[in-house]
Amino acid sequence: MSETESQPTAASGEAIATPAPDTSGSEIRALAIGVAGWIVPGLGHVLQKMWGRGILIFVTVGALVLLGAGMRGNVFTSGGDDAFDKLGYAADLGTGSFYFLARSLEKRGPDVSHAAGDYGTRFLATAGVLNLLAALHAFEAARGRKA
Amino acid sequence: MTGWPTVHVSHFQAMLLFALIVSAAFGVLGRRRLQDRLKYAAWSFLLFLLVAVAIGWAMYPASR
Repeated sequence: MSETESQPTAASGEAIATPAPDTSGSEIRALAIGVAGWIVPGLGHVLQKMWGRGILIFVTVGALVLLGAGMRGNVFTSGGDDAFDKLGYAADLGTGSFYFLARSLEKRGPDVSHAAGDYGTRFLATAGVLNLLAALHAFEAARGRKA
Repeated sequence: MTGWPTVHVSHFQAMLLFALIVSAAFGVLGRRRLQDRLKYAAWSFLLFLLVAVAIGWAMYPASR
């Protein structure tokens, strides 16, 4: 984007130079809010004083992580063998700091030999994807988009 | 240390929990007004249940 924009005046038709608004600062702020929302679920909204959304995102992502870990779902690590493991790891990382919470809660490791363990894996992945969606929502709201 | 307590749920209970939590998040992210949020979350929850039950019945012949 150019630093200045030319706009014709109504009276004379001559172009006058008006400074374009500097949006780089607000873009960086929006990005920081998005990253904050990813690291701590709901924080991106709380920083914008969207208290209800922030708290509910924290609670929903937290509930999915706690239930997923309680069902002994698979918390994927970076050393996955196949594409599904890597995708699962990417989804789990979406929970931000809650990924480490899930890892710390599963002292006995995953148990996907039962249906509950398989459901737990989906709960954890959904928590990550939901948190990424919320972080993107906070980022767009910080950019001034209708949210 | 034994870690986090194990959660025992049936298939249907797991699906209900999943639908409830995700619907609440959809409602809060997708709508601005409280009434719209509640309506959207309720509609989303209902559709989760209906689609799950429909898929369950659609797979029933394959289980026999």
